[in-house]
Amino acid sequence: MAELSITGLGKTYPGGVQAVEGVTAEIADGEFIVLVGPSGCGKSTILRMIAGLETITTGDLLIGDRRVNNLEPGDRDIAMVFQNYALYPHMTVRKNMEYGLKNEGLPRSEIDARIAEATRTLRLEDYLDRKPRQLSGGQRQRVAMGRAIVRDPKVFLFDEPLSNLDAKLRTQLRAELKALHKRLGATFVYVTHDQVEAMSLADRIIIMNAGRVEQIGLPMDLYLRPATRFVAEFIGSPAMNFVEGTVDPDRRSLAVNGSHSLRFAEPLPAEPGHKIALGIRPEHLTEVPAGALSMELEVDFIEQLGADTVVHGKLAGANSPLAVRLHGVQAGAAGSVVTLGCEMDNLHLFDLGTGQRLN
Amino acid sequence: MVENRPLLTFLTHFALIMGVVFLCFPVWMALVASTHGPDALARSPIPMWFGDQGWQNYSQLLAAGLPEAGGVPLGRMMWNSLIMALGITFGKIAVSILAAYAVVYFRFPFRMGFFWMIFITLMLPVEVRILPTFDVVTKLGLLNTYTVLIIPLIASATATLLFRQFFLTIPDELVEAARIDRAGPMRFFWDILMPLSRTNIAALFIILFIYGWNQYLWPFLVTSDESLYTVVMGIQRMVNSGEALPVWHLIMGTAILAMVPPVLVVIAMQKLFVKGLVESEK
Repeated sequence: MAELSITGLGKTYPGGVQAVEGVTAEIADGEFIVLVGPSGCGKSTILRMIAGLETITTGDLLIGDRRVNNLEPGDRDIAMVFQNYALYPHMTVRKNMEYGLKNEGLPRSEIDARIAEATRTLRLEDYLDRKPRQLSGGQRQRVAMGRAIVRDPKVFLFDEPLSNLDAKLRTQLRAELKALHKRLGATFVYVTHDQVEAMSLADRIIIMNAGRVEQIGLPMDLYLRPATRFVAEFIGSPAMNFVEGTVDPDRRSLAVNGSHSLRFAEPLPAEPGHKIALGIRPEHLTEVPAGALSMELEVDFIEQLGADTVVHGKLAGANSPLAVRLHGVQAGAAGSVVTLGCEMDNLHLFDLGTGQRLN
Repeated sequence: MVENRPLLTFLTHFALIMGVVFLCFPVWMALVASTHGPDALARSPIPMWFGDQGWQNYSQLLAAGLPEAGGVPLGRMMWNSLIMALGITFGKIAVSILAAYAVVYFRFPFRMGFFWMIFITLMLPVEVRILPTFDVVTKLGLLNTYTVLIIPLIASATATLLFRQFFLTIPDELVEAARIDRAGPMRFFWDILMPLSRTNIAALFIILFIYGWNQYLWPFLVTSDESLYTVVMGIQRMVNSGEALPVWHLIMGTAILAMVPPVLVVIAMQKLFVKGLVESEK
């Protein structure tokens, strides 16, 4: 059917810049895959290589069981939704949607049927005769999706389709996208830099950094067991706290800054003398000084979010910044000290040099 | 910028009205002069209001032509001018939009080299390359044809540059969307680029039509056959008609008639032109 197989995919630009390097991934039929990463990490380049808008320097790209490396975008059986909608400004919504079908040479009745179906799905019936400039951003993006749907492709490609919309609309369209995916059962490849979007939409996430894949996995795997420090930092908001230090000979404490050290209830799963980064998510720190570790936080400032309170500060005695997410409305003044605890299971240990996970 | 100062309003309007009067006065004079007999214009003061010879003057111009200017009927000259102006306009738009399309959207060897070659021709209007061009058309045996009136004036960089700049503002995503929609280069050109360039084409049409209509030096050099005279040349010949006195009433009539087609083009196209300035479709 429409599984997507990427093997050793690489892209080197004529100037010698290597945008993507050795990316390998198997995407199952009907899967919703999100490519996420900071800007410039190569995620869009991968999407554009799948679409056929960028040439592939190395590696193989298979859609179904057909190698499509050298096919034109129109012949790959894909459809793409762009960040800036890319609707034809001089054509009405209907014309925009039928343009690709006409070029394919489909009969009129088939075109009309497909457009009727897509407009019903996307609730665009009232806008068929309008031009794109008469539509709002959200409506335009729905038309762009409609243009993709009518083509009935094997793979849908989305290039940051929601980044130009305001926050409320983004949430709404996110839900619609998820529903659409369920309905169509097609393979979706979605690029975004927004980790919330990635977490909420994806069946599986591919996290990219500097042209390479950092980790491929289920959203919860990425959250609970990030394979590298980069992934740990990228997924989750506010971002994970890191305390850097050296493991003591008894493996039960971590020397931070030489003078200060953190004591643990159980031995750390790392070699003595090893320089590590200890990662703790802000939401895994509790005010109850129980569990495997207790540490003190000097408060700098407090963010009241309503449902939660985020306290920002420093680890007492060391200079590592530390944030903690507490439930409900909490008071606290700058300069005060809060004692925090954390369970052993919620500790993430990374090698300080390579950034690889240790536990 | 909204300001509400009566004095300023008065001053700006006054300046604008004076400008309009200044520009229109010669046209008014020509119009008035074309309705008088030959004697009225030789006397002082020159009449400022219409005379009674208008009908007679214009019918003589359109039907018979001027014996003093070789007797070519004005209709014939207008027709020649029209063919030349339209030929230059359509030729230039077609050539330059295709050249710009090639330079912007296709990757071929020496692409920028070709672009700069086109660019350099900006410095070579007909007046500068008049001798070599004349030599070429003579050797090709093209003197006294419509071809020679049109072709050498078609090659120019201005329109190519204009289209190039416009094409560069069209977002790449649109091109990519078209590629995914299976539109090949020709389809993309006709279905997307041409409709989007509509207002640019209209603006160029106005400018180029007037440019073509007003050509004087080149047609003067390459046509000796009276049946190919253009109206601008006709006016010049009437003024320098040898021993005879210039027939000002008829010359003014010709000038007025020569103004009509460009004015019509401006009136017909201005809606599209202004629309292009006001509404951005991107």
